[in-house]
Amino acid sequence: MTVTPLQGITYTCFGLSYILALGFEIARVRWPRAGLRSLGLILGAVGLLTHTAYLALHHPSPAAPYGSLLLLAWVLAVFYFYGTIHHARQAWAVFVLPVVIGLVGLSLLLITGDNANDIHVPPWSFGDTLWGAIHGFLLLFAGVGVSVAFLASVMYLVQARRLRDKLNPLGGIKILSLERLEAMNRRSVNLAFPLLTVGLILGGILLKREYDTIENWWSLKVLGTVGLWSVSALLLYMRYAANVAGRRLAVLSILAFALLVAVLATAHPFAEVAK
Amino acid sequence: MNLRAIGCNFQTANVELREKLAFTPERQAFAASELSARFGCETVILSTCNRVELYVGRAQGGSPFDLDLAAEFLGETHGLPGERVRPLLYGHSDATAVAHLCRVAASLDSLIVGEGQIAGQVKQTFESARKQGTTGPLMNALFPHALRTAKRIRTETGISSGHVSVSSVAVDYVRQVFDYFEDKTVLVIGAGKMGKLTLKHLQELKPGRILVTNRSPQKAVELASYCGGRAVPWEKLDDALSEADIVLSTTGAAEPIVSQKRYQELIQPRRTGGTLVVLDIAVPRDFDPAIHDGDRVCVFNIDDLTRVREQTLAQRRKHIAPAEAIVVAEVKAFVDDWQRRKNGPVIQQLRTEVDKVRADVVLPLLAKLDGKLTHAEKEYIEGAFKLFQNKLLHGPIAALQEASREGGSGSLLEAVKKLFRLG
Repeated sequence: MTVTPLQGITYTCFGLSYILALGFEIARVRWPRAGLRSLGLILGAVGLLTHTAYLALHHPSPAAPYGSLLLLAWVLAVFYFYGTIHHARQAWAVFVLPVVIGLVGLSLLLITGDNANDIHVPPWSFGDTLWGAIHGFLLLFAGVGVSVAFLASVMYLVQARRLRDKLNPLGGIKILSLERLEAMNRRSVNLAFPLLTVGLILGGILLKREYDTIENWWSLKVLGTVGLWSVSALLLYMRYAANVAGRRLAVLSILAFALLVAVLATAHPFAEVAK
Repeated sequence: MNLRAIGCNFQTANVELREKLAFTPERQAFAASELSARFGCETVILSTCNRVELYVGRAQGGSPFDLDLAAEFLGETHGLPGERVRPLLYGHSDATAVAHLCRVAASLDSLIVGEGQIAGQVKQTFESARKQGTTGPLMNALFPHALRTAKRIRTETGISSGHVSVSSVAVDYVRQVFDYFEDKTVLVIGAGKMGKLTLKHLQELKPGRILVTNRSPQKAVELASYCGGRAVPWEKLDDALSEADIVLSTTGAAEPIVSQKRYQELIQPRRTGGTLVVLDIAVPRDFDPAIHDGDRVCVFNIDDLTRVREQTLAQRRKHIAPAEAIVVAEVKAFVDDWQRRKNGPVIQQLRTEVDKVRADVVLPLLAKLDGKLTHAEKEYIEGAFKLFQNKLLHGPIAALQEASREGGSGSLLEAVKKLFRLG
């Protein structure tokens, strides 16, 4: 069996590329030089390409914790790359890349743990049926929405802190305006909530039909997803019904992301049974 | 080079005297022509609110212009005695004059270091003088070089980074909160002079609507018509505050007009929009600073804005040394280039003349020896004469170039012309 160079791509390749890209982006905040930006972008692009190649070659299952985290990290890496090009003056990467690196790291931890065998899952394992695949995609995109809302919230809190301390508006780290960040958060949650709702209902139906056991219903994955849905619903309620805005919504969005990571990192009832 | 830069600025003359010595564009053109005609030199007169400077020079020959003559000329032009003007003036010659112009254009010599207006003013002044016909080879080379130097300094150093006007800093803060302004409401409270300047900056953001309120309804109407806004009765201040996104407050009230209690009880519960940005540039302050939370309400008072301004200026001052190093390098480049340009024609003429002499000697010699020499021998003889010529000229040319670098090749150039009978 021949081994192509692409098959030699490991977590180290894209993880290290992202870490180096982040290093250059942090340096750019301190010393705004075009060369640092170019180096950061080149390394970010290398990271994204090797990450893509890894996903294409190894087909990690989104139903497996390491796979879902790696896929989410990939979507956020695309988001990072687009944002860094689109918002050249902003310290976009400084906020997005740590999340990408964190997700990749967590995925690596999970792959070397109990789910080590999942690395050899051959086909795209979205679930047993087409509905399983739809369920997976809906929740993945909902996860992207929650992650973007989280990033917008972190940036919002940093910007609000800068404003609270009345720091020089043109000095230090460059971040989008509060208005833009709030809009980003709002759109992301607005998008994530229906996807999460439909994905969750679909998951419930599949669980009921095929794996209807008490353990499955009370699994961390299911409970966490319900918790995530509840927090998302609360976010919408607070924004639209209770007219709460700003810092409090940002903090709640961060909580939603923490729940999302916990949900993704826990074993899926479907995958557990499939094993 | 025979260049003089003579003038006064904010460091040597107070604003009253600077105003008296300032030139209107028409008078500036007339004075430059007069100065050129009187002294037979190239002239550019730079007149801004912070300086009046005469740049006078000649590509060839000595310049008769000095501080006394400049004082006399400025006094005569503005109806002041020359003795009164003379103590205000400073003067620079040749390379130091070049350096001075570079520093002025790069705003290293400005009241606010790094301000961007002066380069435009220098450019405009030079263009006017050029159109007027008072510039020549020296000024036509000097001013573009100084402007290029200023651009290089702006690009390569952080001398122009940040904003240093209180109004610009205020707008920078607003931009940290908002991105879109078409749907925003600006509320102007009071009608202070400083407020008008900041309002002008805010208007550039093209806000959706502007509301103006004042204790004097007439003043509110006046300001509203000036800025294209709508006057709001003073009694409706709380309503206006609950609708506003950006507040510009400049009243002369002795006590804060919006206390924390008033804001929390009467305004905050009625607000449905996003963050409120208050630019409180009144002294004493109009808004209680305790309202500020950096999230839903951001209050920036004059001290906050001035502090940022000072920080920016301090930051810019760090870039003065690298900027001065660029000036030194550019001055050297200009002086070298200028001397090359000046010596170039003479050196070329010298070479041509000696070439002719060589040809006059070598060609008859080769004609006499025709038939007795091989082609290679002829070439050898020609080469030997060329070598002799080059060795002979090397000394004078090198001496000219050395004198150019030291900035005093004028007399040597004349000597070479006389010695070699160059026209």
